[in-house]
Amino acid sequence: MLETEISYGATPLAEAFDSVAQRTDPLVSGLFGYARDELATGTGITAVDAWQKAIDTFVPDSALQGEDVGVLRGLGPVLGGSGCEDQVRHIRLTVEHLKATRIRAEEEALKNVRLWQYLGFLGGIAIVLVIL
Amino acid sequence: MGGDSRKETAAEEIMAFFPDTIRRTLSRIPGVAWEKVEEIRLRIGQPLNIRLCRGDVFVSENGDLLPSVTGSYRVTADDVYRTTQLVTRSSLYSVEDELRNGFVTVSGGHRVGIAGKVLLDDKKIRTIKHVWALNFRVSREVAGVADRVLPYLVERDRVKHTLIVSPPRCGKTTLLRDVVRQISCGIPALGFRGVTVGLVDERSEIAGCYKGVPQRDVGPRTDVLDACPKAEGMMLLLRAFSPEVIATDEIGRSEDIAALEEALNTGVTIIATVHARTIEELERRPALRYMTGLRIIERFILLGNDNGPGTVREIIDGRTMKALGGVTVNAEAFREPDGHSGNGRLRDHGRPALCQASQGTEGPGDRPGRARDRDFLRGDAPGGGL
Repeated sequence: MLETEISYGATPLAEAFDSVAQRTDPLVSGLFGYARDELATGTGITAVDAWQKAIDTFVPDSALQGEDVGVLRGLGPVLGGSGCEDQVRHIRLTVEHLKATRIRAEEEALKNVRLWQYLGFLGGIAIVLVIL
Repeated sequence: MGGDSRKETAAEEIMAFFPDTIRRTLSRIPGVAWEKVEEIRLRIGQPLNIRLCRGDVFVSENGDLLPSVTGSYRVTADDVYRTTQLVTRSSLYSVEDELRNGFVTVSGGHRVGIAGKVLLDDKKIRTIKHVWALNFRVSREVAGVADRVLPYLVERDRVKHTLIVSPPRCGKTTLLRDVVRQISCGIPALGFRGVTVGLVDERSEIAGCYKGVPQRDVGPRTDVLDACPKAEGMMLLLRAFSPEVIATDEIGRSEDIAALEEALNTGVTIIATVHARTIEELERRPALRYMTGLRIIERFILLGNDNGPGTVREIIDGRTMKALGGVTVNAEAFREPDGHSGNGRLRDHGRPALCQASQGTEGPGDRPGRARDRDFLRGDAPGGGL
């Protein structure tokens, strides 16, 4: 969505953040809302400052893990600092990284589910054995 | 006083576009010097450089103005990066159209030149990346700067076709802006009602538009086409806004002249500026030579920097190509805007040194109106409220 705002609308970042914050799932809109507010706080605030502060505020209350936060932080220094094509490339790269971390997280989750199932099975057998 | 508040505002406006490091340094520059700042230049690894009315200086971390680089504040890559972000509102991609011309206009009408690695697309500039140098041109509105020349430019209820001829940084845009404002408002002292003005502001310098809204006062009857190519802009205004006067900056290309000619045929008055020191220099450019050959321009105003920006060196009658008078005016006004009556009065009436008619410039074929012109130069003309 941010990519569309930048590439098709050439919308200035503050307005792009606002637009994304209003149209996304409440689970992530907070991040863009914080970034928009930071950017609007006044003199001397650049996109990278606003983005980092927004992440600092948003992450503690979110489900984001260390690796995701690292990927998001990596986007900060390039936000708004280059031409349209370059911005799109960076945003796509970030999205790819986030997808990769999600897949890893899912695999991890699946592994954990299997482990618990296995433990549950073992636990059940143990109880049965004790009863016997 | 109005002038002071305006200067403070210009400084404050500019400050908002610098990161803490540069802002701290600039804020230590004495207020008197601030009033004369025309340009602020940032180059990575080089000393912070500012251009005043006369010559440039370097700035130390404590805000001292230094003639040489020793002890000056060195601009860092981070300074330039952050300034670029602030100037572009952290959205370089959103100003790519402007970047193709090498500058962006920020709120307040100030212009920021941007240099770096240029990326091409089919031999045309697509964008600029790796910005390494920035040049802030401080835009100042000096109401009343045109007071002295206006009596030469208006006649009853019409404005004369006028060309402001000037080298760079001699105040031609400032003069044009004030001429536009006053003819748009009307000039009671000259008995001149306001006229509709169409302003084609290709480089966003005259009206200093930010998001399409003029940041400078260009008068209540003025329609501005911002960042529009001159030739197309003039045609558009003619079609849609029926202006009585069309004003534009820095003409020179043949298509500009063709558009001006088209406009002239519809009975519109033209006011334009052009880069040149003298009429001879102007006529070296074929397109402009063609235009002067048409003998349509009624007044040439030649500006110089002899007594600071805004020195009117000569006003030439386009029909006779003879000087109407040499006036050394407004050099002070460019530096010290001290409020404006808006009625075409000479503000420093009684200061003859700044207001002299040149001697021996009149030819034998003078028109009767010439005597009145001379009187305006002396500041004691009848009917001018002087």
